[in-house]
Amino acid sequence: MWKNLCQKMFGRSLWVYHANSGGCNGCDIEVLNSLTPYYDVERFGIKLVGSPRHADVMLCQGPAMRSTAQALKRAYDAMPAPKLVFAIGSCACGGGVWFDSYSVIGPVEKIIPVSYYVPGCPPRPEAIIYGVAVALGLVDKKTAPVQCKEPELPIPRYHPGELRGQGELVVYEKAEKV
Amino acid sequence: MSILSKLEETLVCLKAGRVTLSYPAEAKPLPEKFRGRPIFDASKCTGCAGCANNCPAREILVYDVCQEIRILKYIGLRCTYCGRCADLCPEKAITMSQEFENGTDKIGDIQQRLELFMSTCQRCGRCFKEPSVLEQLKMKGYRFDDLQNERWIFRSQARLEGDAVVDDVKIELD
Amino acid sequence: MIGMIAGGLLNVGLVLLVAPLAQGVLRKITARIQSRQGPPLLQPYFDLLKLLGKEDIESGEVPGMQRFAAYLSLATVLTVACLVPMGLSAPMNGAGDIILLIYLLTFCGICTLLAGLAAGSTYSLVGISREMMSMIALEPLFVIALVVGAVHTGSFRLNTVLQGSVYSAGSSFPWSGLIMLGVMLLSFQAFVQRVPFDISEAETELMEGPLIEYSGPKLALFKYAQMAKLIVYSALFVTLFVPWGAGLAFPAGWLFFWLKLSGLVLLVTVVAATHARYRIDQALRFFAGLLGVALVALILASYGH
Repeated sequence: MWKNLCQKMFGRSLWVYHANSGGCNGCDIEVLNSLTPYYDVERFGIKLVGSPRHADVMLCQGPAMRSTAQALKRAYDAMPAPKLVFAIGSCACGGGVWFDSYSVIGPVEKIIPVSYYVPGCPPRPEAIIYGVAVALGLVDKKTAPVQCKEPELPIPRYHPGELRGQGELVVYEKAEKV
Repeated sequence: MSILSKLEETLVCLKAGRVTLSYPAEAKPLPEKFRGRPIFDASKCTGCAGCANNCPAREILVYDVCQEIRILKYIGLRCTYCGRCADLCPEKAITMSQEFENGTDKIGDIQQRLELFMSTCQRCGRCFKEPSVLEQLKMKGYRFDDLQNERWIFRSQARLEGDAVVDDVKIELD
Repeated sequence: MIGMIAGGLLNVGLVLLVAPLAQGVLRKITARIQSRQGPPLLQPYFDLLKLLGKEDIESGEVPGMQRFAAYLSLATVLTVACLVPMGLSAPMNGAGDIILLIYLLTFCGICTLLAGLAAGSTYSLVGISREMMSMIALEPLFVIALVVGAVHTGSFRLNTVLQGSVYSAGSSFPWSGLIMLGVMLLSFQAFVQRVPFDISEAETELMEGPLIEYSGPKLALFKYAQMAKLIVYSALFVTLFVPWGAGLAFPAGWLFFWLKLSGLVLLVTVVAATHARYRIDQALRFFAGLLGVALVALILASYGH
C-alpha cells in the first residue's frame, strides 16, 4: 500500500537536475524561463535541485561532446531509480546542426537512454512545459508520423493524340503501360 | 537596509497579483511570423530536392527508387526550424506552421515521408534534372541517402552500394 | 506515568503532522510574494512520499556514518519536541533541564556535520566548515537566552524556565528580557535555516552542501528534520519570549499558542522571501555583534535587571 502511494506521488513532485553537455545555452535560458513567475512550472511541484542524487529527472541540453561524455554518463548513473531523461532542444534530440563535427559524438541518446524529446531551437518554454505535461500524462501528444504515398504503380500513360470523344465520354484508345 | 524598504518591496510584488499564465489551459497568442514545425505538402511538391540540398542540419533525405519515383524523408530530429527549406521551395510546398508543441516520447513521431512521382518533361519524358552538363557529370547515378539508418551520404564520394563515408566516432568510458 | 508518555507522544505526533504543512504554507506565501502561483499547499507531503519511494544509494566515504547521521537528525529534533510545551503543560511532567535542551539542539547541528563528513566530497566539506563556523557563533545566543531565564528564576528546570521567565526580573523593568527578545528575533532565521542565513545547506552555491550524497529515504529524513526544526524552534521561542495568554483554559490556551506560532512562521516567511543570502563572513560579523549585546543582557540579568 505504501509502495503504491509513493509511486503515485512520483508524478506530483518531480525534482529536476539540469545538465548542459556542450550546448550554446539557448535551451538553458528557456528552461530557466520556465521557472520564472510567468510560466511558473513550480505549480506542478517541479523543483530545481543541485545534485543528481536528489533528482528524478535530468534535463539534457546540448549534444553529447567528446569532452563531456564521461561526466554526463556519471551524472546519469548517480541518479536514483526511478528516473527519466528529457532531451531538450534539437542538439540533444539529434545532434543539431553540429551532428557531424569533430568534437560532437551525436545526440544525447548515444550515451544515456532518453525518455522524452522536446525538439526546437530553442523550444519555447510552453513547448518544454507541454513536453513535461505529456510525460506526466496530463495532455496527449500532438505529433504522429506522416506518410504520403503516390498511387500504385504501374500508372498508364496517355498521349493526347490517342483521345477520342464518344458522346460525352472521352475514351483512350491505346493505353501504354509504364 | 531598513525594515520599511523590505515592506515596500513586499507590497509592490503583492500588488502585481498573480502573473502566471496557467499554461496547458490557456495559451499566449503567437507572433505572426512564428516558425514552428515545417509541413510538407505532397500535392504541390515536384521533387526538385532543393530543400534537401540546402538544409543546414541535413535533415531532409532523398532516395530515388527508379527514374520517376523519388522518396523525400524529413526526419525532424535535428531540425532547427530555420525556415530555409520553406524560403527556397519554388512551388511553396513547405509551410512553417505554428505548431511548437512537439514533445514526444518516440523521436520517430516527427518524421514526414513523401513518395513522389516526379514531374516529367512533356517532350522527352524524362524527369527534371540538373540543367548544365557539368552538374550532370557530378552526379553518379541516382541521388540516394541511406533512409534505413537515416544517414546523409556525401555526394562527392558516394557509391551506389550505400556505404557511409564517415564512421561513428568511438569513445572510451570507464 | 501513562499521561507523561502520552503527552510526549502527542507532541511528537503534532510536530510530525504540522511540519510539512508549515513548509507548504511557507513556499506558497513566498511564491505569492514573487507574484506567481506557487505549489499546492500539500506539496511537501508529496515530496516526502516520493522520496520514500526512491532507490537508496549508499555512497561516499563512510556509508555507515551516513545512515547514522540521517536517523539521528530526525530523532534529536523529535526528542526536543517531547520536552517543549506546545500549548498544554510541559510533557513528561517537566522532566529535563536546560542543559539537556541545549545539548540536544546542538546535536542536531552535529548530525549535519556528520552527514557532510560521511560524504567526503569537496562541496560537502566546504558546507560543513561553514556550518561549524555559524554554529560556533549561534549556539551561545540561545544559551544566553536560556541562562538569563535561569538566572531570574534561580533554577535550571525546564518547566520553570520555559514559562516566560526572561521577563521576571524581580521588581525592576525587564531590560535583559527585552534585549534578549530583540537578539533572538534578529537571529531566529539562522536557527531555522532559512534565508538570509541558510549558509550551509540547501543552497545552489554549494550543490546542497552536506546533503549532496543523500538520495531517497535518507534525504526524506533530513528534509523532515529541517521542517520539524521550524516548528520546534518556534515553539521554544513562543514559550520563552511570548508567554502572555498561556494560562488560559484548555481549548483557548492551546489555540492561542498555535496562533502565536503561525504568526512567527509568517514572519519567518516574509523575511525569507525578501532577503538575499548572506556570505559567511558577513553572517559571522552579524552574530558577533549580537553576541556582544547578549553578553550585556547577561550582565544586566545577573545584577537583577
